[in-house]
Amino acid sequence: MLKFIRLAFKNVFRNRRRTVITGLVLVFGAAALILAGGFISFTFRGLRESTIRGQLGHIQIYHKDFFQAEEEKPLQYGLDNVEDLKKIILTQNHVRFTMARIEFSGLLSNGDKSAVFLGRGVEPEKENKLTGFALNVDTGKFLGENLQNEAESEVIVARGLAKTLKAKVGDYLTLMTTTSKGALNAMDVKVAGIYSTGIPEYDERALMVDLHTAQQLLVTQKVSKLVVVLDETEKTQEVASVLDKLLPNTVSRRWDELATFYRAVVRLYDSIFVFLGVIIFVIVVLSSSNTMMMSIFERTKEIGTQLAVGTSRVRLLVNFLYEGLLIGILGGGLGLIIALGLSLLINYSGLTMPPPPGFTNGYPLFVDLVPQIFAGVFLLIMATTVLSTIFPALKASRMKIVDALGHI
Amino acid sequence: MNALVQTEAIVKHYELGKVIVPALHNVTMKMDRGEFATICGPSGSGKTTLLNLLGFIDSPTSGEVFFDGARITYNGRSNHHKLRLEKVGFIFQTFNLIPVLTAYENVEYPLLLTAKSSAERRTLVERILREVRLWEHRHHKPNELSGGQRQRVAIARALVNNPQLVLADEPTANIDSVTAAEILDLMRTLNEEDNVTFLFSTHDPVVVRYAMRVIRLHDGEIVEA
Repeated sequence: MLKFIRLAFKNVFRNRRRTVITGLVLVFGAAALILAGGFISFTFRGLRESTIRGQLGHIQIYHKDFFQAEEEKPLQYGLDNVEDLKKIILTQNHVRFTMARIEFSGLLSNGDKSAVFLGRGVEPEKENKLTGFALNVDTGKFLGENLQNEAESEVIVARGLAKTLKAKVGDYLTLMTTTSKGALNAMDVKVAGIYSTGIPEYDERALMVDLHTAQQLLVTQKVSKLVVVLDETEKTQEVASVLDKLLPNTVSRRWDELATFYRAVVRLYDSIFVFLGVIIFVIVVLSSSNTMMMSIFERTKEIGTQLAVGTSRVRLLVNFLYEGLLIGILGGGLGLIIALGLSLLINYSGLTMPPPPGFTNGYPLFVDLVPQIFAGVFLLIMATTVLSTIFPALKASRMKIVDALGHI
Repeated sequence: MNALVQTEAIVKHYELGKVIVPALHNVTMKMDRGEFATICGPSGSGKTTLLNLLGFIDSPTSGEVFFDGARITYNGRSNHHKLRLEKVGFIFQTFNLIPVLTAYENVEYPLLLTAKSSAERRTLVERILREVRLWEHRHHKPNELSGGQRQRVAIARALVNNPQLVLADEPTANIDSVTAAEILDLMRTLNEEDNVTFLFSTHDPVVVRYAMRVIRLHDGEIVEA
């Protein structure tokens, strides 16, 4: 086989200019796919981790009926044996910590004006540990950091909501909501800080209070959910399966099951990547096929000679496939090297992308170096060049020797 | 019977669109082992067609071809390439060397199609290149060789697999008369020393004089054998 690969190598470089042009198409195609794939991988990774660490945690534990029916009263399907559940969760491998949350809504008033809010009761220290990086506290401090009077209840208000109520740090606002028993309740809270999440629509409504403040307001000891944070995202399924078996009367949801936006983004980007891949595939096929057809046309007489001196038609076909394969290996290989170089250049350049729709902050331009993407693109390029060689090679191998020898 | 190759009532037509062009008509001939013969005739007399049929490059419209006593069949499963590789050598008017290969590699090419080892191939290639006096030029590509040298490479390629029959289609048409004489002398020497049967076509009466036997074709028929 090696002896014919040497012949294929010489034939590939017979017309250097044409081979270089075809090679450039392959290099460009390979590099484009690897860079696109690496960028998409980084985007997914960033979105995944910000979804987990900025919002959802890795796993959320709910009451077993939470998703079966709508609650008639707040926290009807809340968890009420929180400490026992936490103890069990913390015994599992890969669990860093767990924390409770209460999701509730109501009206926030400054005395003159009211606005609807979406509130969250949290354990401040743990909440800050998970989501602190995703929250920009514009003024004031996060919950629990400003307590001079522990009897006072604090609130941090999202930027848009604070603007609506003209609230500043130190102001007193009134939270009004329906309790777990269905009655109305109100509580005065002091604004400890004003924050932003980067999502303008969410900043119009969000606020956070201490878990106990929420429980007092809702007149309950229950919580909406427990959020479990792991040390490795890859262990999510494994730990969720274990918790499903161990925790009584609960149901778990993994972060990917809850992250509808993330799933939609993944679907969209995957479709874009596939579309890009198809375009590049077609370009590579057309370019390689054209090169091979031209090469075979120019070598018609030589093909006739090879057949005349005893080359079998199968051997001739295989030799041409070797040429296609070699072009793929060289073009794909060089594409990998160039993609690696460009990736490193981009990653160290400090360039940033503009903010995505719905966000206020941009993010770094970065390309993940994913071995599977490199390998996959390399194999794709090789397969494409071989595929695009098949038809011209078949045509060549079926030539009538007499006609080929007589070709001028 | 000592006939190496034999035809019986060969007819060959070509279809050019709707027109049928007769090339050979009722050609019956034979060549014995060790012969050094020529097929001669004017252009269009069917010389190349007859050589193509004898070399299994083409198939007759009707009639039979025999090689070494065996009738040649022409169906989809015929292994003519093996016959060409093992039994027949070709020398072409325009040399037909592979331009990306050196003289050594061009001569070696038919051996790559066999199971011979690298050492065996080297021995055979060196032997034949020395016989045609081109060993010193073995690393030259065809575009670095003269016409005569290219034809000698082509002769070496035709002989490297020790064929029983060498078919040469106007082997001296593209070289000067002095070189042509050298080529023909070389072919004659190889015929005498290695007992290889040579059949070459020509329309040059000077070249005809080198042959031990002349087969004359005219309008696709043998007029003298």
